[in-house]
Amino acid sequence: MMKVFNWWWGILLAFLLLALVRVFLPLPFANEIIIFSIYTMGCNFLLGRVGFISFGQPAYLAVGAYGTAFYLYYFGQNPYIGILLGILAGCVVSVIVGAFFVRLRSDYFALVNLALAVIVFYMMEKVLAKITHGDNGLWFLTNMSSTPILNLGKPSHFFIFSFLVALALWAFYKYLDDSIYGACCLATKINEDKLRFLGYSNFNIRWMAFIIANTTTALAGALYAVYVGLVSPAITHPARAADPVVVTILGGVGTLYGPIVGAVAYTGMKDLLSRFIANWELFIGLLLVIIMLAGEKGIWGTLESLMKKTLLRKSILPRYQDSGDERR
Amino acid sequence: MMDTQLLTSGIIFGLSIGSIFFLLAIGLSLCFGLMRIISLDQLLYYSVGAYITYTLHVVTGNTWVGVLGGMAAAGIVSFGVERFVFLRIYERDITFTMITSFGILFAGVGAIKYVWGLVPRPVPIPIEAQVRILGTWIPVYRLLVIAISLLVYAGIWLFLNRTITGKAIRAGIEDVEHVEGLGVNVYRLFTITFILAGILSGLAGGLHSSLIMVDPQMGIEVLAFVFMVVIIGGLGSIKGTLASAFIVGQVVSLGSLVYAPLAQMAPFAIMLVILLIKPTGLYGSKLLKR
Repeated sequence: MMKVFNWWWGILLAFLLLALVRVFLPLPFANEIIIFSIYTMGCNFLLGRVGFISFGQPAYLAVGAYGTAFYLYYFGQNPYIGILLGILAGCVVSVIVGAFFVRLRSDYFALVNLALAVIVFYMMEKVLAKITHGDNGLWFLTNMSSTPILNLGKPSHFFIFSFLVALALWAFYKYLDDSIYGACCLATKINEDKLRFLGYSNFNIRWMAFIIANTTTALAGALYAVYVGLVSPAITHPARAADPVVVTILGGVGTLYGPIVGAVAYTGMKDLLSRFIANWELFIGLLLVIIMLAGEKGIWGTLESLMKKTLLRKSILPRYQDSGDERR
Repeated sequence: MMDTQLLTSGIIFGLSIGSIFFLLAIGLSLCFGLMRIISLDQLLYYSVGAYITYTLHVVTGNTWVGVLGGMAAAGIVSFGVERFVFLRIYERDITFTMITSFGILFAGVGAIKYVWGLVPRPVPIPIEAQVRILGTWIPVYRLLVIAISLLVYAGIWLFLNRTITGKAIRAGIEDVEHVEGLGVNVYRLFTITFILAGILSGLAGGLHSSLIMVDPQMGIEVLAFVFMVVIIGGLGSIKGTLASAFIVGQVVSLGSLVYAPLAQMAPFAIMLVILLIKPTGLYGSKLLKR
């Protein structure tokens, strides 16, 4: 009982902070943070739970975004149906692609995903240029009809919607972490032989994780498409392929709040630093190296262990094991 | 139908692109084979080589001095990075080195933007002359690039097969612990290999700088291609790297003659197919555990 209270308390606190972000910071920034943190959640799950690093997340982002964009540009007007179709497209693609990819080792997996991102990029830019309008992209902001209750065309309503989606995803990933399936994911990362000995199929667990993670990524793409109202091949450009990985590491691999802390830090640094100097990459890159050398805990991981230490000393929280920390 | 002239120049173009890919990929391949690290920061030494070539060309007016300076600078930078970062993380798993080296690459791109600015810089071709082959005018410089890469291949082959250090490196690719057991200081081997890889990447950057514009993102742009070359050839195999570099070069060059949009995409499709059929690449042996 106490445990349930604790994690709900944590999530509510995190989202209270996020709501504060909305009050104090401009709306585009808040929306960007939410979309980016959903985008990162998938990568965080893959890297932190299953141990797969993927340099090709933009491919799945683009699948979601283009799924939504095709519907809204050519067929319909309801943004909700567009988002649903984007998720569906992401799910179908990751089911098919995942069946081949998850057989590979982690380092090959990263590069094959990178290759997929490049292929999707050139397909959208050149090969399918008749449908996707190449570099100009699909522009459908005025195509979207206004919907009752939450009108996604309005940025302020969009914030509330994406906020609720992110909250639901958080609860879902927390639920996964506590379930047997979550334990299996960790086990397949740490020792797959023992897991096979226990009678589980490594392939099925990884495949499932791949589908879950990349459907989340596609959802982020669909949200992005509806928010910006413009989808162009630029979102899957190979030069941005490592963004989600960087954000995941910044926030803290495998931690529940890592994605949002990382997204806030990354977008914040990008916006703030690029206002003063042109080369914000220097700082992000150095920070990444320092975090990796300092024990790859990330910003949230460091804060979490500090907080735990102080809270435990005051014995407010019961001592419980966090499953994400033990890597080796 | 494709005419002979177009075909000849296409093949030469593909070979020269393949040579650049080979020079870059060989460092990655050696690093993976010996140290079991994936060193994305080779792409940084490539950019450093290209930029130093540009600067020295502006100062001295001679591109060849620039290329030599670029190699030296790339070697120095790679030595520094090896000392400060890689020496601490050789023991970690591959994913870890991949992320860390990506951080180095990212920081390096930022530093390059800081020093040289965002504007692409041109480097003139050192040899303007052209020769006639099969009725087509071919720039001598491209032929020279191909010759240099073949010389490097021969040099590396001699180094690995005829010198004691090279033999130790080859033995290390097979089994590092046994080499250590023989009393060889493997960390010195690691340093030598890393600097060698960095110098070759710098050479690739210097040679490539006259063929393209030098800009800060150049490393990240070729990253995907270089990795594809390494993977198709098989990680850790030098012969495989040479073969796959030329294959990829030809696919990029001849593919663009057949159907332009496909040229950038086709190599990735080939890599996907090869990886799904034979996950270790063309010449890769079964991967040994560190």
